[in-house]
Amino acid sequence: MNFGSLLTLFLLSAVAYAVEYEDDILPILEDHCLKCHGPDKQKAGLRVDQRLSLLRGGDGGFPSLVPGDASKSHLIERIKSRDASEQMPPKGERLSEEEIELLEQWIAGGAEWPGQMQALEAIQSDHWSFAPVVRPKIVFGENNPIDSFINAKLAARGLSANGPADARSLIRRVSTILTGLLPEPRRVARFLEDYARDQDGAYAELVEELLSSPHFGERWAQHWLDVIRWAESNGSESNLYRKNAWQYRDYVVRAFNEDRPYDQFVREQLAGDSLGSGEATGFLVAGPHVPAATVGREPSAIRQARADRMDEILQTVGASIMGMTIGCARCHNHKFDPITIKDYYAMAAVFQDVEFGSRFPEFDSEHPRRKRGEEIWSEIAKRRKLLRQTGGWEEDWGAYREWHLGVAEADAIRIRFKNANVTVDELQVFGPAERKVNLAHRGTGATVRGFPAEGNEGRNPINRVNDGEFGTMAWRGRVDKNSKEKPWIQLDLPKREKIDRLRLSSNREYFFDTDYLTQKPYLPRYDFDLEVRQPDGEWKPWVGTWHINRKLNELHPERKKLLAEIQKLITQLGEEGPQPGFVGRLIPPEVTRVLHRGSPESPRDEVAPAGLDILEGNLGLNSRTPGAKRRSAFSGWLSDKSHPLTSRVMVNRIWHHVFGSGIVSTPSDFGSAGAAPSHPALLDWLAAEFVSPTSQQTKPWSMKGMIRLLVMSKSFRRSSQPSTEGINADAGSRLLWRFPPRRVAAEVLRDSILQASGKLNRRIGGRSYRIHNVKKTYAQWEVVDNHGPGTWRRMLYQERMRRVDDQIFTAFDFPDCGQVRAKRPVSTTPLQALNLMNSPFVVKQSYFIAERARKEGGEKRESQIRWLFDCLLSRSPQVDEMAACGEISLQLVARSLMNSNEFGFLP
Amino acid sequence: MTHEPEHLSPQGHHLLSRRNFMRNTGFSLGGLGLAHLLAAEEAQRAASSDKLPIRPEINPDQPYAPRGGHFSGAAQQVLVIYCPGAVSHVDTFDYKPALEKLHGKKPPGLPAVTFEGPTGNIAKPFWEFKPRGQTGKMTSELLPQMGSLADEFCFLHSLHTQTSAHPQGENFFNTGFTMEGFPSFGAWVTYALGSECSELPAFVAINDPRGLARSGKNNFGCGFLPASFQGTDFNARNPPANLNRPASVTPADDRKTVNLLRHLNRKHLEKYPGDADLAARIASYELAGKMQTSVPEMMDLSGEPDFIHSEYGTQDGTDLKQAYAKNCILARRLVEKGVRVVQLFNGSDPSGGNGITNWDSHSDILKTHAMQAEIMDQPTAALIRDLKRRGLLEHTLVVWCTEFGRMPFLQSNGTGRDHNPDTFTCMLAGAGVKQGFSYGESDEFGYKAAVNPVEVYDFNATILHLLGLDHERLSYYHNGLERRLTNVHGHVINEVLA
Repeated sequence: MNFGSLLTLFLLSAVAYAVEYEDDILPILEDHCLKCHGPDKQKAGLRVDQRLSLLRGGDGGFPSLVPGDASKSHLIERIKSRDASEQMPPKGERLSEEEIELLEQWIAGGAEWPGQMQALEAIQSDHWSFAPVVRPKIVFGENNPIDSFINAKLAARGLSANGPADARSLIRRVSTILTGLLPEPRRVARFLEDYARDQDGAYAELVEELLSSPHFGERWAQHWLDVIRWAESNGSESNLYRKNAWQYRDYVVRAFNEDRPYDQFVREQLAGDSLGSGEATGFLVAGPHVPAATVGREPSAIRQARADRMDEILQTVGASIMGMTIGCARCHNHKFDPITIKDYYAMAAVFQDVEFGSRFPEFDSEHPRRKRGEEIWSEIAKRRKLLRQTGGWEEDWGAYREWHLGVAEADAIRIRFKNANVTVDELQVFGPAERKVNLAHRGTGATVRGFPAEGNEGRNPINRVNDGEFGTMAWRGRVDKNSKEKPWIQLDLPKREKIDRLRLSSNREYFFDTDYLTQKPYLPRYDFDLEVRQPDGEWKPWVGTWHINRKLNELHPERKKLLAEIQKLITQLGEEGPQPGFVGRLIPPEVTRVLHRGSPESPRDEVAPAGLDILEGNLGLNSRTPGAKRRSAFSGWLSDKSHPLTSRVMVNRIWHHVFGSGIVSTPSDFGSAGAAPSHPALLDWLAAEFVSPTSQQTKPWSMKGMIRLLVMSKSFRRSSQPSTEGINADAGSRLLWRFPPRRVAAEVLRDSILQASGKLNRRIGGRSYRIHNVKKTYAQWEVVDNHGPGTWRRMLYQERMRRVDDQIFTAFDFPDCGQVRAKRPVSTTPLQALNLMNSPFVVKQSYFIAERARKEGGEKRESQIRWLFDCLLSRSPQVDEMAACGEISLQLVARSLMNSNEFGFLP
Repeated sequence: MTHEPEHLSPQGHHLLSRRNFMRNTGFSLGGLGLAHLLAAEEAQRAASSDKLPIRPEINPDQPYAPRGGHFSGAAQQVLVIYCPGAVSHVDTFDYKPALEKLHGKKPPGLPAVTFEGPTGNIAKPFWEFKPRGQTGKMTSELLPQMGSLADEFCFLHSLHTQTSAHPQGENFFNTGFTMEGFPSFGAWVTYALGSECSELPAFVAINDPRGLARSGKNNFGCGFLPASFQGTDFNARNPPANLNRPASVTPADDRKTVNLLRHLNRKHLEKYPGDADLAARIASYELAGKMQTSVPEMMDLSGEPDFIHSEYGTQDGTDLKQAYAKNCILARRLVEKGVRVVQLFNGSDPSGGNGITNWDSHSDILKTHAMQAEIMDQPTAALIRDLKRRGLLEHTLVVWCTEFGRMPFLQSNGTGRDHNPDTFTCMLAGAGVKQGFSYGESDEFGYKAAVNPVEVYDFNATILHLLGLDHERLSYYHNGLERRLTNVHGHVINEVLA
């Protein structure tokens, strides 16, 4: 600042008329604002006669008053606005210029307000879920403290609890809840014997067996996938398949089976790229998204789509781990919870480096995929070594082709195509010095030119081939078939380099992210000659595809076998080794700003990555912090032992799946619009026990440990029989005077039927089975085979395309993966009945079950029917039931049993 | 078998949390008593539009039993004719003489880029407009039969939407949200009202012979509402999945299976006397049994007289038109039976090319819109006339709609029109709406809504109102919010009510 301007400023402030609140400001507010934003009404939660309210601002989340800075004061912005939907007052006379000037001067001078100059305090809340978890005292003696809490409440209500369930009901109940499969008849028989001898011992043994079954993780993974609406397609118009997204599903199964501590489970899903569990970040991109190609060309639509994708990420994190409806604060402060619009965008800043897309997941050295990949790579390397001795060769990697060549040294190369029509998304060039550095990337200073330079119809310019963007933006070189000059690319490098490898790809977005299944990602076989530029500027022929693919193969016939083996290994690597999968693409984070009214067209103040302010979410980060570090820091905040939400939300979720209804009946909303806990002390005791278990044998944050604690309680083992007293006092059985019976989920029905028929393929993990067609670009997925042998795996592995109706089990409230589903609704529809009576799946399986009854159920029809009852209902038929079966064929008896209420309900 | 405990509505919570909020600021209210302030605030809230939800009382035995609305509505049933792909309003029902004058020009103020890319010049309507009916409403020669019903329709010319992409547009129109996974209009209505018909599903989605629209099942899905309220998907050609007894099972066998099932269920119910969920599931098997008879009866059009077939056009024109005409007859039969919501689709997704499988005429609109019109015009007009003749329009609301409009100018290809989210035309007819009436106007080009703009929320709020439902009170608690078809928006358009 020079001396002159300093002087002017000084003079201005000295001469300026001192604006007084009472005399100058209050009358303006009274005339224009107070009717809607005063003592009688507070539209948008704002009153202008209170300085504090102005400082905080209305529901929109922007301070109406920033003392000393009129231009940042939302009040001034709205008063001056020319936009009919923004301007204040919305109707009636606008403020005069003098009035506006007075307001601005008053604000510039610090907005002095006699009697209201107290400091602004931070937002607070006394909502229960934000308070620290304090381990409550256990009320009275029971072996399992859960029973103490439950019984105390029952006693207080004067309710008596049911006695223990019968052994058959118990094994059916606990098997279904822990593994999603009914117990097999032989196991039931053994349990009955053991139970008669030693109830507790037999039950404890059964529980341990079920918890260590690999099917445990399969069942519990599904619960987690429901919440985050995970699917293998992006939804929306194109509903494209997300390649290898199932790696994330397998991660979740493994995490449950290995009893990964929940805090680690949280950290890996938020920041697995830094923890050697890269595929765990599939969590972040579990929600639906609209891919770039269908957003349209308007820049505002493209910005909006990115903001929508970010919102899906925040919804996932908020609903699943935090139990908060974060999305409500996207456009204005949360209406019910102490979450501000600033909190929302601070959390958006945490995930600013995440984009919906694919990458090679980061695996630690022990990861099974990495180990397998290393084996396959070493096989490929062996063959390459042999091939190198014979000269160059070409490898087909699907979305790209790679040419391995003898080393050349040059500062420029030229690719002269022999084809008239060429599409190249990216050109990559590598040398022996640094194997992984793409020398052609424009970031290195490399430049390209080519013919036709503007590409086809002037819309696909040549500089796209080294922009580093894999996607739909490609160079399309098309010339007339008979044209003498064919398409060519010239790459100029900043300095002379040794080069021995070349890669061309065609729309690797398909390869990396999504595809339509019909358009398998592939680069057509192009023919070209390569030239290199000499130090003297002369171009010299180097090598060409004719030489590599024809000449050398003729010269060395032994190459044929090696090349075929390499191609086979490439396919194998794609299935078994590390492979790019739809687990999130990582991009350089942009500066995050609060978006006024949630609109990307109205960016405001910069925000630093942080957690919720009310829960001391300041992470000490800023807009320059690298993305991975942001997510790591955030995951540390969220998985801290003292975080009041993380432990409460998860123990409640577990409770929900064990008892059918959570202690908080809104498992993904622990805010003030959610339900209050039915047993607050119990919830806190469980949360405390989860992070710091009393028993030495249980690890902190052990999910299996928590589940064990619940199913070992007497409350869980109670009979589900109704009693008049109980029903009258507590029809929903929320107080657990009985175990609340409930419908079994779609998966339990399907998987148990397959188990009963003996056809269940128990393979854990891997590529999903497919029930639908291979669709065309914008078409719908259509179910073509929902019952053939290829589908006889657990339903968890059904390729999960958003909103695809499998025409059998979707009708059983199976989610469409469009919105977060913390709990499934339970409905009863005639379509369920039709599907379970008439679908080819059920009909075919009933045939197999009957076949098995004949084989395993003994000679006599009666014993075969007994076998059917044992297998499907875990009990023998009673006399009248046996009579009712009359002469009906075994297959039809099986069909009836599968449709019975007893089969469809958890006892 | 668990019942959601009654918990405070979000509105109630809002009050409480605001109270907490203020209590915790530690701020002295400078003379105004806190109690006074809160009392004033609560009084204001009660008087404002924050209304409490009305929960339908759903009998688990009979989730489709008819239930009263929030008030007595003019319409008891609704037929929605949905045209995916975006019908060009400037070529059909929204007459814009200015386009004639400006044909081939590019006046300033029009955008350089729209959804599909660079824009071309203004193009006059591809079909001539003529006055129709007693009202003399100008409609085009593209849809002469629909035009001949101009005196029946209430045209809304100033609708505008939030997106220029089809699936989001379909989602927005049919579920109130551009995102996936929200309950469809039909699911909301049947959740609230059940159905008068006890033998058929309460909500039927009749899909186009070419397949599902772009948003697929989302257009008639239940979102987070119970699955009972999803639309049942069938048309005149294809029954609902698994409706029919499998070929390998004889009718006698089927009866035996059902009898055994009844025996097992009765026995099981004895263990859990009075359990409503078990009883409901038993009842659902009874309804399924009825549907096995009633749905094929509905689909069997052979009993329809010849004049009906020829009026609808089931035997002339293209195969697609004939198939769609049969769907139109099916729609009438379902309305006649009292099915609460019938959603009839005219168009599918765009595989197969622009403007071929639906109204999305990005290129050669002259040819492609004409192809769609040939399918839609006669059968749809016949359907509306037939409903009227039978007196069904007395209590049935007919809605004709599409997700957005098309541009008054061409695309750079010079033959097609791009998406126009900023103004388009939809129509209402039948119970409770003004006839031969037009509401709202687009600007002189038909480029943006100009007079009385109508949001899709308003449109849906109005339809719900006609059915006796207050769109602000028809809500369902899901993940922390009382969700509504109209989100937090929407005003009933009183001007269109008869």
